[in-house]
Amino acid sequence: MTHPHERLISLAFGEPDDDASAHVAQCASCRAELATLRQVVAVGAETQSLHDLPEPPPRVWDRIEASVREASVGEAPVGGASVGAEPAPVDLAEQRRRRRGPRRWPAWATAVTAAAAAAVVAVVATLSIVWSGVGRTPDEIVASAALAAYGETPRSAHGEAEVLADGRLRLEVRDLPAVSGYYQVWLIDPKTMEMFPLGVVDNGSDEQLPLPSEVDLTRYSVVDVSAELFDNNPAHSGDSLLRGELT
Amino acid sequence: MATGARVTAVSGTDDPPGLARDDDLAERFVAGDEFALREAYDRFGRAVFHLATKTLANRDDAEDVTQTTFVAAWLGRGTFDPARGSLLGWLLGIARRKVVDRMRARARENRITETVRHQPEAGMSSPGADPDQVVDRLVIADELAQLPTDQRRMLELAFFDDLTHQQIAQATGVPLGTVKSHIRRGMQSLKRRWEVDGDASSRAAHISRVR
Repeated sequence: MTHPHERLISLAFGEPDDDASAHVAQCASCRAELATLRQVVAVGAETQSLHDLPEPPPRVWDRIEASVREASVGEAPVGGASVGAEPAPVDLAEQRRRRRGPRRWPAWATAVTAAAAAAVVAVVATLSIVWSGVGRTPDEIVASAALAAYGETPRSAHGEAEVLADGRLRLEVRDLPAVSGYYQVWLIDPKTMEMFPLGVVDNGSDEQLPLPSEVDLTRYSVVDVSAELFDNNPAHSGDSLLRGELT
Repeated sequence: MATGARVTAVSGTDDPPGLARDDDLAERFVAGDEFALREAYDRFGRAVFHLATKTLANRDDAEDVTQTTFVAAWLGRGTFDPARGSLLGWLLGIARRKVVDRMRARARENRITETVRHQPEAGMSSPGADPDQVVDRLVIADELAQLPTDQRRMLELAFFDDLTHQQIAQATGVPLGTVKSHIRRGMQSLKRRWEVDGDASSRAAHISRVR
């Protein structure tokens, strides 16, 4: 009997099918497939409660709108429907440029003075999106990542990384396995695996590392902690202990 | 069972099924179209809020997670890759991580409180639903809502009313072979979506295994 893919679906619903059952008893791949289908059936049966989910209270959208406005400089109002403003003219060429062009999380470099903010506004007109730190307190968390054990690392190892509005990365790492060298922190672009070294941390410590001002956290979105040897080689050892993605 | 017009579970619209609308919204969202943010919130805000309220005991936390999920998604929209899953799946992945962070923070606060009070059991609020399971349900519900009407109807009778294929044929007057083929095609779509978005959102926490 060839793999009875279609009949596995009936089996997953508990329809009797002796031939297909006999095949499944002997075929690991069909057993795995059937197990997956049964999970889908089980999840499907649980979806009945999801009809007519309640709306979040209106204040949630108000806060989203406020946060996004605060983070943007020289951009059109968000979600025109609720603010009653005229829809911003859409410049398709500009949209395409934005799509391709670099995007950044809120500007890290330094505390933004009024003059600097004005300069930023001027630059926005030609340079696609630049998010600004205006209106943020230096300690405000603008992105964070839970760091989880990577690869062969014991599951108990963990950490947390938080990007603060003034361009620092606050990092806490716990229960890292002992290594003969030291622990190095990196920011990695998961698409290209290009990376920035950020600094060295100790196990169990709470550190603050400055972020390079040019780093684009929408690209370099993965925080990585690696085990490095004292070998005079500045490149990543390839031995990642923790990783997490900034959101 | 009513199969006429109704508000679908997750997306909050009753538009014809098909992924075209999704893809267009995702594209506009990534392009930085501010109206797409509002539209994404109108369509998926309830799903994100549901995930947060089911998993977090504190209502303010749930609202906060919903808010920060959309803000983070908007600010990080350049990182959304449609090839890796749907916009809803991506949003739920972000929300799931924020939920887990918030759960850990609350657990830590509770530990500190306990240490101070020397009452090991005090303040230990039991965690809510498992975020992964809630995400799976939302993703499957969304896909179910997008299936062609016949497929959706047959699957709902099987899922919710627990009817056998034969009973579905009798109840609907549709030939058994047709019932089976609707169910089969519907299940294939659900399984595919679950593998992409259910899996993708839980995997996102520890990012791709590339080196």
